[in-house]
Amino acid sequence: MAAANPDEHGDVNSEASPHALLTFLQSQSQNTLSRLYQKPSSCLSIFRLLGPLDRQLVMNLLWLDSAIPASTMNAWVTREGRKPYEASLGILSRLHILPSSPVKLALNPTFKTSLRQAITGGGTSGSFGVPAGNDDKHTTPSVEKLDAYALERWETILHYMVSSGSGRYPAKPSQGVLLLLQRSGLMTSPHGAALQITSSGFQFLLYSPHTQLWELLLQYLHMAEERQMDLVEVLSFLFMLSTMELGREYSTEHLSGTQTAMLEDLRDYGIIWQRKASSRRFNPTRLATTLTSSAPPLPTTSGSGGTTQSQGFIVLETNYRIYAYTDNPLQIAILNLFITLKSRFPNLVVGAITRESVKKALANGITADQIISYLTTHAHPQMRRNKPLLPVTVQDQIRLWELEKNRVKSQEGYLYTAFASQADYEYVLDYAKKLDVVLWESAARRCFFGSLEGHANIRGFIERRTAGNV
Amino acid sequence: MDKPSHLSVVVDLSPSQWHLCGQSSNSHPLPLSAFLSQLLAFLNAHIACNDENTLSVYGALPGKSILLYSSATAVPEEFTGPADPNTYRPFEVLDSTMMNSISDRVEALTDLEQEPPIGLVGALTKSLCYINRMSNASSTSTAAGGVQGPVVLPDPRILVVSVSPDESSSYIPIMNSIFSAQKLKVTIDVCKLYGPESVFLQQAAHLTGGSYIYLERPDALLQYLTMAFLPPPAVRQLLSVPTQDKVDFRAACFCHKNIVDIGFVCSVCLSIFCQPVPVCSTCRTKFPIKTLQRLNASKPAAPAPRTPAPTPPATSLPRSQSIGTPRSSMGNGLVAPSPSRNGTSLPPR
Repeated sequence: MAAANPDEHGDVNSEASPHALLTFLQSQSQNTLSRLYQKPSSCLSIFRLLGPLDRQLVMNLLWLDSAIPASTMNAWVTREGRKPYEASLGILSRLHILPSSPVKLALNPTFKTSLRQAITGGGTSGSFGVPAGNDDKHTTPSVEKLDAYALERWETILHYMVSSGSGRYPAKPSQGVLLLLQRSGLMTSPHGAALQITSSGFQFLLYSPHTQLWELLLQYLHMAEERQMDLVEVLSFLFMLSTMELGREYSTEHLSGTQTAMLEDLRDYGIIWQRKASSRRFNPTRLATTLTSSAPPLPTTSGSGGTTQSQGFIVLETNYRIYAYTDNPLQIAILNLFITLKSRFPNLVVGAITRESVKKALANGITADQIISYLTTHAHPQMRRNKPLLPVTVQDQIRLWELEKNRVKSQEGYLYTAFASQADYEYVLDYAKKLDVVLWESAARRCFFGSLEGHANIRGFIERRTAGNV
Repeated sequence: MDKPSHLSVVVDLSPSQWHLCGQSSNSHPLPLSAFLSQLLAFLNAHIACNDENTLSVYGALPGKSILLYSSATAVPEEFTGPADPNTYRPFEVLDSTMMNSISDRVEALTDLEQEPPIGLVGALTKSLCYINRMSNASSTSTAAGGVQGPVVLPDPRILVVSVSPDESSSYIPIMNSIFSAQKLKVTIDVCKLYGPESVFLQQAAHLTGGSYIYLERPDALLQYLTMAFLPPPAVRQLLSVPTQDKVDFRAACFCHKNIVDIGFVCSVCLSIFCQPVPVCSTCRTKFPIKTLQRLNASKPAAPAPRTPAPTPPATSLPRSQSIGTPRSSMGNGLVAPSPSRNGTSLPPR
């Protein structure tokens, strides 16, 4: 699972978890990464996904021709920066951008050449996408049209997921998407029946679009390996898309076989737009061009209501009532996961957070923090004036309801009983207490319950004692 | 991902200074063309760091200042043609816009006998206005129903790349820009490539928490720029950035625009003069003749035998007050500058 709250812009000092893709890249072989680093666009995109300090370190070393002693770089680090600096070096060496050598610091030569080329331009790699020539027959689709297309595709996927439990089936995404959802564990089909959303699927719905997108793409990358697709080709195509310009047409002629095959999948996710499947040109949508940035990948939410919805539409009151100014079926369906809907108007849905509704959400695997972070992200502008944003009573109550669920805790262990005498019992119990493995005891019944770890020791102790008595 | 940051660059494009800087008689000559290619690489690196990073570049030309590039303006028409598949698009637009506007301006330069003073102050002021406008634009849109609270342009910085010597007549406007920058929480960094140390820009960097670097090796410009001026303030807490050991705090007098070691400050409006004057030129306060005589006697050029101790030089300017604005007249008299202004002021004539 990706970081739960990517909307929170991490301070440099805080140990913000690295981007989900970097974790994936770190698990790849050096050979794969070296091939990936041959493309300037890939290097630029990976560079952008790094943390601020990592980027500065790369930049410091980028224009140096020879390796510098590690002590020279160390001298620049302040006392507070010591720990983040070590962490950065670790990340960079795991990505093989910085070959791990304790004495000398120098960038991976392939990475250095490509990133230099990305920044200065030039070369013949064509890695930033070959634009298609002018088309006399058709006009280039406008940015609005591309946005609408991306949004429609994306919401189809999410809406399908959210309504799978309810028995209503709206527009079905393509077979490839369904397979991806199933393989990623977001949906499952018990006994070959229709697809059902899983608890991680419910959690997925509450993520920000950027995280959702990367999670699906990561799953796609995992599948690519199984489908005998070249991982490097897949990754460089994604990175190429992320450096393309919105509203420009690109030609498919220079794509490799793997990449041409990817076009269909990416079209289903709404990442690219094509006039028809056989078209020799394609347009990246905003989902593609914001892959490596923190800009919102989906500009506005569809529906006749229009523009303000993406900025937040939920008003939550201290009496647990929720007013959601939306007519978007997807948003209503997602809200329906954890609130009880009371009434519905053309542009407004009224409901309440109740114990039952939250319990239902918790049973689906959604956590209290996810509900609270969803409400925070989508709060109406009017709510932004409140400090704290959400009423504290409601936040606390949601957390308390979650705690209620965890009243019973199970633990494996052994019950020791049928002691011959009280002295025996106390002797063994004393020993077990010293090991700190006693979970429960009852002197009246002469029995106690010890944890699993302590069993071998207690057993040995009793056996030794019995043997000694005999 | 992390926060975007804004960078405004003020480039000194004085033709005569660049001619001197590029001469091969220098130990490390840096011609303008080499400078521009290294600067463009630096600007690209800034954009590369984060997709939302913003940039504006102002050029200081003789007698005027112009906007060379701004990431806020729409892409001009001539770039709608087919793009180069080997270059990241924003870099391509940035580089060609910069080069086009610079070559346009340089060609338009007239061959004058005497070069008018460089428009550094204009460029500095314009970039401050730009930053102010961007921050205000985002906060007004919030008032109209935006998402976040007051949005301030995150971490705005100004980098001044200077080759010209100080223009002592621009002392007051530069100090006023520094105070505005302090108020806007803008950091001013200075990269001095050529020429004598700049007193005013040293103060600008010092007072706004930026760094002033005099390049010993101007040909290694890009490495200096990357290591010292690329990191946003948040990263600078972790990777230290060179700062000045000593700052030249000297001020310029208001009467002859000379940089002075010891000045005389009007006790009413804090105007600085290089010699005692009977009437303050800014606020028209008249000073008693006795004070004038005493101060004249204590001038270091002609040390009077009876002066017990020489007056300390004008070390620093009052930071929170702007220079040159007359304040309400509470007491007047001409005083020799000293850290505490008590005791030396006398009643007016």
